[in-house]
Amino acid sequence: MKKILLAATLGLSALVQMNAAQAVDVKDLIKLQGDERERVLVEGARKEGKVVMYSAMIENQALRPLKEAFLKKYPFIEAEFWRADTRDLINKTLAEARARNMVVDIVEGGGVSEALLRANALEPFNLPGSARLPKTMVDPKGFWVATRVSYFGMGYNTKLVPENEVPKTYQDLLDPKWKGRMAWTAEAETGSATMFISFIRGYMGEQKAEDYLRELGKQDIANITASPREVVNKVMAGEYAIALNIFLHHPIISAKQGASVSSQPMDPILGNASVMVLAKSAPHPHSALLLMDFLISPEGQEVIQKADYFPSDPNLDIEPSVARIVPSKNGMNMYFLSEEELFKARAKSIDLQKKYFRRR
Amino acid sequence: MNSTQVGGTTFKERESISPWILGLAALLLCLVVPPIFYLLKTSVYTTEADGSFGVFTLENYAALLESDHTLEDLANSLIFAFGSAILAISGGLLQAWIVERTDAPLRQYVFLVSIISLGIPHVLYTGAWLLILGRNGPLNLLLMALTGSREPLFDVYSMTGMILIEGMLWMPLAFLLMGNVFRNMDGAFEDAAMMSGASLLQTLRRITLPLAVPGLLALFLLIFIRAFEAFDIPALIGSVGDVMVLSTQIFASIRKELPSNFGQAGSFSIVLMMIVVFLLWVQRRILAQGEKFQTVTGKGYRPRVKQLGSWRYVATGLLVTITILLLILPLGMIALISLVPFYDGLSETMLSRISLQNYSLAFSNPHFRTAIFNTLLYAFGTATFVALMTTGSAWMSARRLRGSLLLEQLTSAPLAFPAIVLGVAFMQTFLNMPIAIYGTLISLVIASTVQYLPYGMRFSHSAAMQIHRELEEAGASAGATRFQIFLRIVLPLLMPVVLMSWLFVVLLCVRGVALPILLAGPNSQVVSVMLYDLWVNGQVNELAAFGILWSAIMIGVGVCLYILSRKTGVRL
Repeated sequence: MKKILLAATLGLSALVQMNAAQAVDVKDLIKLQGDERERVLVEGARKEGKVVMYSAMIENQALRPLKEAFLKKYPFIEAEFWRADTRDLINKTLAEARARNMVVDIVEGGGVSEALLRANALEPFNLPGSARLPKTMVDPKGFWVATRVSYFGMGYNTKLVPENEVPKTYQDLLDPKWKGRMAWTAEAETGSATMFISFIRGYMGEQKAEDYLRELGKQDIANITASPREVVNKVMAGEYAIALNIFLHHPIISAKQGASVSSQPMDPILGNASVMVLAKSAPHPHSALLLMDFLISPEGQEVIQKADYFPSDPNLDIEPSVARIVPSKNGMNMYFLSEEELFKARAKSIDLQKKYFRRR
Repeated sequence: MNSTQVGGTTFKERESISPWILGLAALLLCLVVPPIFYLLKTSVYTTEADGSFGVFTLENYAALLESDHTLEDLANSLIFAFGSAILAISGGLLQAWIVERTDAPLRQYVFLVSIISLGIPHVLYTGAWLLILGRNGPLNLLLMALTGSREPLFDVYSMTGMILIEGMLWMPLAFLLMGNVFRNMDGAFEDAAMMSGASLLQTLRRITLPLAVPGLLALFLLIFIRAFEAFDIPALIGSVGDVMVLSTQIFASIRKELPSNFGQAGSFSIVLMMIVVFLLWVQRRILAQGEKFQTVTGKGYRPRVKQLGSWRYVATGLLVTITILLLILPLGMIALISLVPFYDGLSETMLSRISLQNYSLAFSNPHFRTAIFNTLLYAFGTATFVALMTTGSAWMSARRLRGSLLLEQLTSAPLAFPAIVLGVAFMQTFLNMPIAIYGTLISLVIASTVQYLPYGMRFSHSAAMQIHRELEEAGASAGATRFQIFLRIVLPLLMPVVLMSWLFVVLLCVRGVALPILLAGPNSQVVSVMLYDLWVNGQVNELAAFGILWSAIMIGVGVCLYILSRKTGVRL
């Protein structure tokens, strides 16, 4: 019994010491520049040996190739990834912060920054590479940098919707012939009905938006409780004719495999960025900064692009097959819904969703 | 009805609380109380922006009463839970009776069928059924062809659809548990009835079913409560058709704020817990005369198999029908989806796209192998802990030893936790512990042990109820201590049930998503979460291939256990 106690005490004190050793002030790190920055970060990262990122990117497609590419560049840093949706990313990070037991260094995903910022769980940072990105992709206060962009719009089953009947505008969606034949996801964060409502409110203004939503509510849109990708799948399976507010590139990927599905961007195209943030008291700050550098570097952005995401760096070539859904390439405008707007609009949009799109 | 009435007082009344009960109760308290405490606190505090507790409030309880639709939601929840439990139990009971009491051909395979269908991951099973019953699925195409209708006739996104799928999910469990009850029942009563001229149906109605009451009641309670708080089927199916139940409304309240506000979910769980405690109390009252149901006696009577004559083919027909519904249709659909790059309805062009591409993706995925190892470790660990803790508790509770009510309540309390709430409660508990347990497989095992305690308890309890005291009294008069009696008499009699409950908990563990999604860290990922990710990402076809491979592994586990049981003579 004594031995067990002794072992436990030793283990505990080792743990405490470990935490003490990691108490590096990130504020000092972000002042560094040029070669010195690189040298200090690499040196620190060697000691840390690992970095933990919670991300909404899909494991198979994106996180694993990123891990491999990062390991190739820095063989002494083991990158650990945990994938979840926005809500779980936030809940888990805050739980760790409250318990003062931080495991995570970087959180990445759509809609993660505002909630964490309000909870005072973030540390500002700066990355030399962010100079290459457009202004909208970098937080002026330094709390987030965008890793990837998404474009949202309509998808349809080409067998069920003849070419000349495809809705081209948001008004076209109010045509009674689509009643009971459209679906969207009711509960995810990104690409959900809630996000669409927030967008319509921002784009049309509250009064017009409510008129529009009231009319759209009469269309009996099916409230699917899965991801936007699954809504596209249901449209492919012929259960519904039209998928609303889905990732515009998803139907294109499926159409390449031979599925009877296509996407239709509508003007303006809803755009939204996924961002990365640095957790306050991140246990591996040196490695975290190196990983964040990597994620927006041309190499990192290419891995992200290969995983079917749109990189936040506009200098990367876009594949011709998806050019027709990208606002800068197809002549349409983009309505960019920022992290802050998305967060602020959320509660009222959920209320409107309940009011107009639930049948009771 | 008692075949052997032992007169006089039994040994329980004279004793003080056994140290075994105290020890077990202490252990259970350590496991069950922290999440309950957290839950209670959550339900009476506001949530701050950083997710911490704010100020004291009764708002969450008031909100339960005030919501516009609480009564309607409650009614829906009750209909859903009742319907699912009745469907699952009728199917399970029918199967169990045919398998255990008749000479219908092929009946020995029902056990295997149940194990296999329990091994199919939840998301996959539900997804398959949604496609089969969906607007463009085979059922509706058939109905439309038969009636000439242009619109789909069956709407799966309805209360009927919810009950159908939830009921089918629980049917294998109902069969396994009812099979146990029948097997441990003294067939002498039924044989006596038949010899006195009662017909088969009369015997079933007057003897067999009444004797099965404790098992039936426990099972009904289990499925009813689980369906009442179930979230996945109501969300995936009910919400789409605007059939809302309490749990989906609660989820909406969690979702409404970022970070999630678990306050209302907390108050809901607390109310639910009180209902569970009440139902357990009612159950105890009904079963008060425990000896009525004790049918495992020292007389070694094997029930006689009923000769059904030509009716036995009807019985086999029923078994085959249930098997087709429970296993062949959904598994067939999954297999089909796993062979194509995408699904766009059943058609000839679909055949031209068939390939093994999804399987090669699954095989070449190194994460899958690690996840399999993690999952098996986690499931075996949890099942072993649950079996260890519940066997003793169940026996002491069935004997109504002093203090055993506490054991029963403690092992049943987790039934009231919706998995997502239990996950959050444990996440908080682990994070606040001085040892670095958070995010490890061990943390997952501890939380899941608590989650599945009630299941182990239901299994062992109905079996322990049936062991007649005369066997233990014989042991006691031969001078055995209480512990020796348990070890040498009770445990061997309970062994088949312990093994069964072990296997069952393994199958539950590998299916569960809500707990691992919150508690597992980067290095302790399990298969169910991996499959869930594929589902979320809409990679249904890859998911199907993974699912088929994973189901094959689970079938392997089931078959191993089956063979083992045959070799050791322990009948499952």
